[in-house]
Amino acid sequence: MPLTINKAIVGKEYPPYAVTVERGKIKEFARAIGDLNPLYLDDRVGAASEWGDVIAPPTFAVTFRDEGADTGALLRDLGTDISRVLHGEQEFEQFHPFLPGQTYLCRPRIVDIYEKTGRSGPMAFVVRETAITDRANEIVATMRGVTVIRL
Amino acid sequence: MRYARVYWDDVKVGDELPALVKGPIQQIQLTRYAGASGDFNPIHQDDEFARAAGMGGVFAHGMLSMGFVGQAVSDWAGAGTVRKLGVRFAALVRLKDVVTCRGRVLAKASKDDVHLVELEVWAENQKAEKVVTGRATVALPVRG
Repeated sequence: MPLTINKAIVGKEYPPYAVTVERGKIKEFARAIGDLNPLYLDDRVGAASEWGDVIAPPTFAVTFRDEGADTGALLRDLGTDISRVLHGEQEFEQFHPFLPGQTYLCRPRIVDIYEKTGRSGPMAFVVRETAITDRANEIVATMRGVTVIRL
Repeated sequence: MRYARVYWDDVKVGDELPALVKGPIQQIQLTRYAGASGDFNPIHQDDEFARAAGMGGVFAHGMLSMGFVGQAVSDWAGAGTVRKLGVRFAALVRLKDVVTCRGRVLAKASKDDVHLVELEVWAENQKAEKVVTGRATVALPVRG
């Protein structure tokens, strides 16, 4: 009997959360990818750059998490668990690089849920978008992720 | 040469990015990426868990492969130039896989003194199967 995904959460907004970008986190993240670009790793190169500091790599926003939230909340809302989840798609749009020491506000919401049957059986696709703004409430980036749930 | 500056004027539709070869993927890199990204899904760490979940064993975070693609783009275009990066995870990356990231210029556009290049990007494994497919947009400086 396949799982039934709770589509009632389409449109649901999760509580906004703030993240402060840490210099060490940028470097740890770049090194974990093996991307040794000096603009991510070398403070002097960063200071001499047009941004005046090191910047974060293109996919860094994936590290932004609501530390105060229960990480299983979305999966529970959907009626599934982590062993059935795959990452289907991901997109980042970046209007300005993330800089160390800056605080950003993330506003996630569920924008769509749809079902399809693929090679490996029925699947649900959950589309989540997060708008990321700075202290001046200017948009800095958006991220859009598609989570695939094997039903 | 890596990190050479690319000017918008010099880019032509059809130009190919230098291939970026990453891997072979090792468990330690997945553990390191889990710590750096905060994604501790045991499916990327615990082979028994991944088998029980019907995945045939541990596989890499899709976001790690996307990170490789982001590196391929910024190695060519420069760090901080990536305005948009969007991918689909087409196949799983397994331990010992070698991931090669590639890209090709699809279009150029200029608007309001912002000079954009649109790219087709992808990553393939050692069997030439695409594991990631997507698009990227970079903003480049102009000569002058």
